[in-house]
Amino acid sequence: MNVPAIQTEGLTRRFGDLIAVEDVNLEVASGQFFGFLGPNGAGKSTTIKMLTGLLAPTSGRMQILGIDFEGEPVEVKRQIGVVPEGMALFGRLTGAEYLNFVGRMYGLDRETAAKRAGELLEFMQLADQPRKLVTDYSHGMQKKLALAAAVIHGPKILFLDEPFEGVDAIAAGTLKAMLQRMIARGATIFLTSHVLEIVERLCSHVAIIHKGRLVAQGSLEELRAGVEAQAASGNGDQIAPGKKLTLEEIFLHTVGGVRSAEQELSWLG
Amino acid sequence: MAGVSVLHSRAQLQAIAQVRWEIFLHSLRTTRGTLELFSRIMITAIMTAGGLGGAFGLGAGAWYFVAQGEPELLAALLWPVFMFWQFFPVMATAFNETLDTSNLLRFPLNYQSYVLVRLVYGALDPAALLGGLWLTGISIGVGIANPRLFLWTVAVLAIFALFNLLLTQMVFAWVERWLAQRRTREIFAVLFFLFIISFQLIGPLMSRFRPHSSSSMMRVGGEVNIIQRMLPPGLAAHSIASMANSRWPASLLSLAFIGGYGAVILRVLSIRLGAQYRGENLSEVSKDSLAKTGEEQVRAGWDIRGVSAPIMAVFEKEFHYLSRSGPMLLTFVTPIIMLVVFGFGQGRPGGGLLQRMPDLGFPIGSAYTLLLLTNLVYNNFGADGGGIQFFFVSPARFRQIILGKNLMHVAVLVLEMAVVWIGVALLFRRPSFGMTVATIAGMLFATPLNLSIGNLMSLYSPKRIESGTFGRQRASQLTVLISFGVQIVVVALGATGFTLARYYGDLWIATGLFVSLAAVSIAIYTMILGRVDALAQRRREVLEAELCKA
Repeated sequence: MNVPAIQTEGLTRRFGDLIAVEDVNLEVASGQFFGFLGPNGAGKSTTIKMLTGLLAPTSGRMQILGIDFEGEPVEVKRQIGVVPEGMALFGRLTGAEYLNFVGRMYGLDRETAAKRAGELLEFMQLADQPRKLVTDYSHGMQKKLALAAAVIHGPKILFLDEPFEGVDAIAAGTLKAMLQRMIARGATIFLTSHVLEIVERLCSHVAIIHKGRLVAQGSLEELRAGVEAQAASGNGDQIAPGKKLTLEEIFLHTVGGVRSAEQELSWLG
Repeated sequence: MAGVSVLHSRAQLQAIAQVRWEIFLHSLRTTRGTLELFSRIMITAIMTAGGLGGAFGLGAGAWYFVAQGEPELLAALLWPVFMFWQFFPVMATAFNETLDTSNLLRFPLNYQSYVLVRLVYGALDPAALLGGLWLTGISIGVGIANPRLFLWTVAVLAIFALFNLLLTQMVFAWVERWLAQRRTREIFAVLFFLFIISFQLIGPLMSRFRPHSSSSMMRVGGEVNIIQRMLPPGLAAHSIASMANSRWPASLLSLAFIGGYGAVILRVLSIRLGAQYRGENLSEVSKDSLAKTGEEQVRAGWDIRGVSAPIMAVFEKEFHYLSRSGPMLLTFVTPIIMLVVFGFGQGRPGGGLLQRMPDLGFPIGSAYTLLLLTNLVYNNFGADGGGIQFFFVSPARFRQIILGKNLMHVAVLVLEMAVVWIGVALLFRRPSFGMTVATIAGMLFATPLNLSIGNLMSLYSPKRIESGTFGRQRASQLTVLISFGVQIVVVALGATGFTLARYYGDLWIATGLFVSLAAVSIAIYTMILGRVDALAQRRREVLEAELCKA
């Protein structure tokens, strides 16, 4: 029996009176390219932070590759790579120094860390300014470096929080090529993104979170079929016959986000 | 239109003040914020006590000089105020809290408002507040001795205060600029060491050319007096003295000269502020190193046999951070500056403090080194910023991370102590074997204690700092207060040890006491280190919220 790459049971997180994430039961199979979607403030980042050890859940269980996160956090962290929202960079190191540092923190020996750091810098096209500090990198360069750092130890699962935000088309192409290569080699990728076209093109499975609760989960086809069935039963917006729904349409139908600009800002140009 | 512009600037300044007030109110919502406020009040009370005491003493001195008909001697009071105002900010960066005004540049703030905000915030730093208080004391002292002089003294000292304010800002702005780039930093380091070496020549030169008669002494004193009267503290005293003797033109001329100095400094300062206002981004890297250099092999990390990879990685990372932090490097050379300052009396009868008791040079220098390290030790993660997230997602334990950081602190301390030892040997006298051992034993006690409390404070009260900029480092007030308390305990125990040793004429008594205390502090350190993992997990949200904020 295949152990799920990621599995949560009743995952909940409260901030005082606010319930940011409530009773989330996720299951991501090994080898999936999984997109985690939701409107702003829906609980995406809170969920990914809990799954990567950046935030403690208020209640619920998390298992990564069958290992209980709470019981064996260090073992779980060895298996995963993370690009968090803030990218977790050390600004006053050079790119090579940073990757070397990260590699050694994951327990790579110094020669392997240096070799992989060099290869990753080359692959990410960051090798031509070796003395530049990370703080002086452009946003796109920092994203590429953060991704390089997340994979230097060869993780089995990669968590990416908005990996394409602020990244130009060329850099995005490099990132996508790398992620697809990882999937081809059997890794699992869990990403959040607002760019639904990218998620649609890359991800085989998707979950949608809305107001802290998981409202949809499955393959794109399953989600599409679900929305169409809902429309057919008269519970949702009507869909033109024969039309194949895009992920954006599935998303908007699921979270009920279609909204007209009724109130104009009269003072705005 | 000019009216609109003035109104606009005023509205912006009001908005800045309001935002600061709201930030203050919001900070009180948390326990930590309330503790910060309590610490701030305590520190302010201590500072105020020192300030009022100083103001009273200086006021009494001013009263005496004026009442005795010697107002020119006010220079003897104004020089120490000037020296304190200029040196204290460099010597005690932990106590400075200044706004990083670069954040304001995104708003449509005009240049005049930007300069004004910088100066207003500069006027709120402790050195400026204490300096202002002391000058007020001097004004009151003069006013009591000669009420006719009061208003003029207030005017002269207000301009003198403004001059000091501008000079501090200018020094900070330019030092930050020079230290920001590797090449200028190297030039600065060479100049600094030449300066230090030149001081070593003062003693022999003074001995060689020491005036042998009282008339020669008077002649040298007269020459020094002429020079000091050309500088702002002397000019201020001269202006007040001239007014006391009803010599209006001389009084006004001296005041005009202070104003002239201020104008020149404002001009030099405005070059830097102009560059900042235009959006200058100080970078570590010189332009030529940004040019393409082709593929460069990645060097393997450091390795010490027996030290685990994560600890070594953190140690190496800390080294890179420190070596790229100009302000921190400057902090590390200040013990040598202090030795030079204490050695000023060299070659003169009576001499300076360390000239009279050279044996204390090594323990005092070492203790001061440890004091300077508190900036780092009590805010371990401050410079890591968003990098703290990596520590939480990596499989390394916080124990290893903190150990790596502490190893670097200890390495810096050992290096600094060696430099201080050599400095004391060159400037005064080679520290005796017994004193060297006693000092090392004392540091074996003081260092683990500071590291223990520092590690706790780093987790309980983190504060994001920008290690590349000078005077924009904001230590938590709670941390400042606690580190202050720890230093008092350490100094009191150190002083007790040395007093007992002196009383019984045996330095080994102090060594024995310090070794016993070291055993306790090492045990405390080990115990706390064993608990930092659980503590860091409990504090992770606070750490991330504070350190990851933009």
